Amino acid sequence: MLKNIFILFLFATLFTACNDQLDKINENPNATEHPLPAYLLTGSEKQGADLYWGSESNFNSSLLFVQQWAKIQYTEPDRYDVSNTDFTSLWNTGYATLITDLNTILNFTDEEANSNYKGVALALRSWVFQLLTDAYGDVPYSEVGQNTTPAYDTQREVYLGLLSDLAEAQSLLSTSGDAIDGDVVYDGDIAKWKKFVNSLRLRIALRIADREPELAEEAIVAATTDDAGLISSNTEIFQFIYTSSPQQNPASAWFETRDDYRISKTLVDKLYELSDPRLPVYAQLPSDETVNEYVGAANGLSTSEANSQGFAKTSKPGTYFLTSESPAVIFSYSEVLFALAEATARGYITGDAEQLYNDAIVASFTQFGITDATVVAAYLAQSLVKYDASNYKKSIGTQKWIAFYGQGLDAFTEWRRLDYPVLIAGPSTVLDGEIPSRFFYPGTEQSLNGISYQAAVANQGTDLLTTKLWFDIE
Amino acid sequence: MNMQRISTISKYIRKVCLAVLLLLLEHGVYAQTVSVVNGEVRDAQQQGIPGVTVALRTSATTAIVTVSDINGKFSLNTDQSLPATVVFNMVGFNTKEVKVKRSGEQLIVTLEENISQLDEVVVTALGISRERKSLGYTTQELKSRDLSNNKESNLLNGLSGKVAGVRITNSQGDMGSSRIVIRGETSIAGNNQPLFIVDGIPVDNSQLNVGGATRDFRNAVADLNSEDIESLSILKGPNAAALYGSRAAHGVILITTKTGKGQKGLGISVNSGVSFATVATLPKFQNVFGQGSNGKFSYVDGKGGGVNDGVDESWGPEMDGRLIPQFFSNGEAVPFVAHPDNVKDFFKTGVTYDNGISIAGSDEKHDFRLGINNQTQKGTVPNTEIKKNNFTLNTNYQLTKNIKIGATANYVVTDAPNLPGGPSGGRAAGVMLQFLWFGRQVDINELKNNRDVNWNNSYYSNPYWNTYYNTTSQKRNRLIGDIHLEAKLAPGLDLRLRSGTDYYNDRRKYKIKYGTSGTPYGSYAEDAYTINENNTEAILHYNRNLSNDFTLDALAGFNVRNRTYENNYQKAPRLAVPDLYTLTNSRDALTSSNSYSKLRVYSGFASAQLGYRGYAYLNITARNDWSSTLPRSNRSYFYPSVSASFVLSEAFNWKNEVLDFLKIRGGWSEVGSDADPYQLATVYDFQTAYDGNPIQTSSKKKLNPDLKPETTRSTELGLELSVWRNRIHLDLGYYNTNSFNQILEIKTSASSGYTSQLLNAGKINNHGVEVQLGLVPVQNGKFKWNVNLNYAKNNSEVKVLDYAGQIQNYTIGSSGGVEVLASVGQAYGALYGTAYLRDDNGNIVVGANGLPKADPQKRVLGHYTPNWLGGISNTLTYKNIELSFLIDANVGGKIFSGTNRTGNYTGVLAQTMQGRDAEHGGLFYYYPGNSSSASKTVISGSTAPSGETVYEDGMIFNGAYADGTANSTVISAQEYYKASYNISEAYIYSATYVKFREIKLSYTFNSNLIKKIGLQAASLSAVGRNLFFIYKDAPNIDPETAFNTGNAQGLESLSLPTVRTIGFNLNLKF
Repeated sequence: MLKNIFILFLFATLFTACNDQLDKINENPNATEHPLPAYLLTGSEKQGADLYWGSESNFNSSLLFVQQWAKIQYTEPDRYDVSNTDFTSLWNTGYATLITDLNTILNFTDEEANSNYKGVALALRSWVFQLLTDAYGDVPYSEVGQNTTPAYDTQREVYLGLLSDLAEAQSLLSTSGDAIDGDVVYDGDIAKWKKFVNSLRLRIALRIADREPELAEEAIVAATTDDAGLISSNTEIFQFIYTSSPQQNPASAWFETRDDYRISKTLVDKLYELSDPRLPVYAQLPSDETVNEYVGAANGLSTSEANSQGFAKTSKPGTYFLTSESPAVIFSYSEVLFALAEATARGYITGDAEQLYNDAIVASFTQFGITDATVVAAYLAQSLVKYDASNYKKSIGTQKWIAFYGQGLDAFTEWRRLDYPVLIAGPSTVLDGEIPSRFFYPGTEQSLNGISYQAAVANQGTDLLTTKLWFDIE
Repeated sequence: MNMQRISTISKYIRKVCLAVLLLLLEHGVYAQTVSVVNGEVRDAQQQGIPGVTVALRTSATTAIVTVSDINGKFSLNTDQSLPATVVFNMVGFNTKEVKVKRSGEQLIVTLEENISQLDEVVVTALGISRERKSLGYTTQELKSRDLSNNKESNLLNGLSGKVAGVRITNSQGDMGSSRIVIRGETSIAGNNQPLFIVDGIPVDNSQLNVGGATRDFRNAVADLNSEDIESLSILKGPNAAALYGSRAAHGVILITTKTGKGQKGLGISVNSGVSFATVATLPKFQNVFGQGSNGKFSYVDGKGGGVNDGVDESWGPEMDGRLIPQFFSNGEAVPFVAHPDNVKDFFKTGVTYDNGISIAGSDEKHDFRLGINNQTQKGTVPNTEIKKNNFTLNTNYQLTKNIKIGATANYVVTDAPNLPGGPSGGRAAGVMLQFLWFGRQVDINELKNNRDVNWNNSYYSNPYWNTYYNTTSQKRNRLIGDIHLEAKLAPGLDLRLRSGTDYYNDRRKYKIKYGTSGTPYGSYAEDAYTINENNTEAILHYNRNLSNDFTLDALAGFNVRNRTYENNYQKAPRLAVPDLYTLTNSRDALTSSNSYSKLRVYSGFASAQLGYRGYAYLNITARNDWSSTLPRSNRSYFYPSVSASFVLSEAFNWKNEVLDFLKIRGGWSEVGSDADPYQLATVYDFQTAYDGNPIQTSSKKKLNPDLKPETTRSTELGLELSVWRNRIHLDLGYYNTNSFNQILEIKTSASSGYTSQLLNAGKINNHGVEVQLGLVPVQNGKFKWNVNLNYAKNNSEVKVLDYAGQIQNYTIGSSGGVEVLASVGQAYGALYGTAYLRDDNGNIVVGANGLPKADPQKRVLGHYTPNWLGGISNTLTYKNIELSFLIDANVGGKIFSGTNRTGNYTGVLAQTMQGRDAEHGGLFYYYPGNSSSASKTVISGSTAPSGETVYEDGMIFNGAYADGTANSTVISAQEYYKASYNISEAYIYSATYVKFREIKLSYTFNSNLIKKIGLQAASLSAVGRNLFFIYKDAPNIDPETAFNTGNAQGLESLSLPTVRTIGFNLNLKF
């Protein structure tokens, strides 16, 4: 017995000494607890671009809804025959990757990350929140990352919150401040970031314009009068340029192994109607050389109807979009000009709406490499193109739709907001002739954050594709 | 080995007792002698058995009784007139009756050992042998003969239906992994499989890389060779296993391998077996309509160049011999006809050869056994193979009078040049994926003869191309072994030291050939694992009689456990040149990842068994662990157990003509459990750098610096009853297990900042009953019929997830839109998915287009956990012939079937024939103006207004419009069968099945005959396994199949068909 007690005592002493050793064994050698802001920033830009330009949120959903691309096989998403497992990556990557990484930067001490890092992080975070609320409507915003079941904020609260976040981001950013590393979009040029922040304020302010015109006006005045200015040329576009595999453009990677998409007939027909010089950039000639013209595939057909249009007789999207190094455009110069034209038309700021509208089209042409002045002039001279001051939504809506080619999420939002161009649901779509007005919440929200989800549904309306979001008035 | 020793000791005790008895009897039994019966009682090895009760059955109440002597000889004198019956009774052997015709007859009687007898000695935790009657918990033991003859290449499958409360699911075809769960899932998130211990060494049973793998890699315990196993004890639940601590909360499977102990002379044993496997559960395909869509098809390039030739569905024209260009005809129109066996013909007859030899020997000082076994399995999928070589050595040496040393080594080389592609193999490798999208007109021979062509070039490569070129290999080198020492320190006190290891590396190579559809440049990846677990243990064991009434068997010990895991993965995503599979042959930067983890646990433990007069026992255990995986403050955790056994029949001397044995038992136990390594501090991962800029990103998993150990508490009660000379033996058990503070990686809404969080949360209750009933309906000299029934019912309920009450559901897994959940207030394993939208009257709501609508609110569609499990085995023995068969049942539970979901969508299944033409109940309709965008107009006959094309595949979905009126909108069969693709409810089936699991016929050659040709024993057996279903509900699949060995069961997705096997086995002993 004594012996046993002695042994136990011996062991007890031993273990006190061993505790340090056991702690050491449990130190994770595979990853770090202490990330660096530059590495998180590169990651946020890369993963944000993948999300915005990748299949689930873009060319297998929003880009189809807004009839810029069409599916030639497996047409379910093009027929809106989708379920609530189909829109999860925007949510999961948006929140758990992008916003979490950016919040990590924001929560760093001043020694760990200077205020320019924080301004950049806040700007990018606002962009991600904007994508989330544009697509789903009410989304968690103020309680994100604070508990396991965050409440949803109304879309109004989210947009207004973002406007104030962006004002703060602007004050955090300073061209005379410390340098940042890891910025693969603007290469650490804080002046450009300040322009991006103002441009984003402009974009978001217009989102609320139909609902809260006074607040919109206030925000637009603030953004346009800020000393830092707006994105003011195509060299200042906010875009992520891909490299080679495995860092190639996601659409390019898709086309390398699969053949599911064509440019939409709706868009091709419109570009032909307008004799738009962007058509050869946006589309390829069909591989069947006897066709020898651009042919779009119709949206919303059954798989066999879509199939029978002929894989070889229809146009794939242009090679401009399908090389490994093709950019993911996130904020274009032409969008700034369209936004200024609209703000002018709405009377928020003074200026020449038509001139801004024309400049926006020219900026889009330049973006896609069309610089021939006579071509540009001929285009702008057409009556179908000419700015219609009595229906600015139609002119701007139609041209924005064309200029946003490939930017599915924003094209989808602007189309819902401006209600132009008029799109018609395809013959085999399943929403009784309607086109989706939003994404489903991920199905997992019902099981994982059920109470908050139910409250959001009660506020916003049933979780259907056709439910109209707050910003989207008839 | 302990078994052996105990039986030797008990033989000695018997001999001593016997001498005393004989002395007594010499004076007791004498009377007027009329008849004399002499003879000898022997065991199966033809050795005399001492102490057998030999009774002459008489009409009088007192039988004439004697006992066999040291050499098994006996002599009975009686005044009874003959003929009469002599009954032989001996604990551990089956009772035998022999007719005696005349006085002076010499009887040579062989008694058969009875393995389920009550005084049986069983191996319990830490390899301690105990009398079964002294245990306060349930164990069940299988002997080598129950395991070795059935020749399942995965050891676990051989246990199906044989043990109460044990559920085994095998995942993929004939080469995949198997999952074993005892008494239901007690851990919400963790591994629910038992701990495997081989000769005292914990062995790993991981299935590495379950999620991301393209193949169903075999679980690690499949490395063991059933031929080497002496016995297999199943310690169910924490009561039995408390001494093993953390990992034993789900039970322990204790394997004792064969040794050379007691082997006289050189014992050479040879076994040779062959078995044949054929696919048993292929889906039923339709053979009326071929590839295409809306009745149209014509092949040009197989990717949309022709009419619907990129469509990989069978909604095409009728296969009536009409002339259509097809993939092999070079544009020529050839007859479009059905090939009903085009899927079946892809599969081959699998063959497994199993050959082994072992040599054993012993003397006073040494014993050894050396075994070599080779198993070569060629699968039912072409070009799949697994070769396994086992080398086993087991030796002991008596160093001094008091010290014995020994070593065991089990070296296993598993080499699979190619494993069959499972559902996650994708289009480049998945076997059933392609076949459930397969054109029904496709002639598989055209594909077999030319791997460069395929029926569809949009999505697939030729299935033979896939299986011959896009291979995945696995090679595992494994050493399980130990060195051990036993020292006698004092009478009754001994010391045991053991250091054991389980070390293996597992290398996998994934090849995708250049030119594969979807992967035009091919790819190559290597995935290498090294797993090592070492356990070093010291145990002091004390065993003595405290007084005439009390016995004590106690031990105290200490264990150090170290486990390391290492993984390196590298992939060349696109090859530079074809057919060269090296990592440097790459167009792109390699993608790679590696990880290393290590844990250490110190444990101190003690146990004591106090026995009183051989009928009352109290067992106590205690253990304390110190684990590196927990934070300092929670690192040390203690857990005790107590159990008792009381043999009523002996205590109160209730033994009589009817009752042989009656025992009650009960126990309470607690088991603690630690976490995986590195679960305390949230980390950031690196990703492939972008253009020279490193990328870090959140791991999306929030970890927990305050983790506490998990606790499982279990109570169990039981009763064992044996009546009519063991003709009926009943074992009843009840258990109630609560597991709480579970370490859960709870999936959370991404808006929480993480997609999962690690919490100490959750409480799950499991309670249930287990019944084992053994019957011997017929037993006479030559013929015996044994029946064994087992039944188990487990009820589980998830009581709490997080203690804050915010989380109601824990996601265990998902597939095809169905989540498997642990939901508060429900049984474990709820299948949660999209249901049909229904109106107040329960009708399915359809839209104006006649298609059913999905309810935006997801629902629980069933639970995968079964209501009860049962098995019944019958063994019929006639002289040297034994016939046994086993039927097992799994009743209740649901399964979501991806095979039915896909097969309905693609129109390949026979069940999609209803409504597809007039003959199968389809309605006639036409499109006014022949415009397919116009709405369909139904007509009663097949005549439409002139010029309109008539279709005969009209169907009306059974449902109602939103206003409540019955649906009358006609849709085509193609629309009908596709309509529910996104409605999970449509593909939920009952998982109930009754399987004819096993039939075995064996013949043991007459020992006298055998001895003449120099053999000691010889037997021949034939075994059929999984021959057919007696009953099942789910069409087109085997409801027993599963995804993998994880907890996300109840999901089936394009799994390989399970196989039926027929095997033959020969055993020879020299």
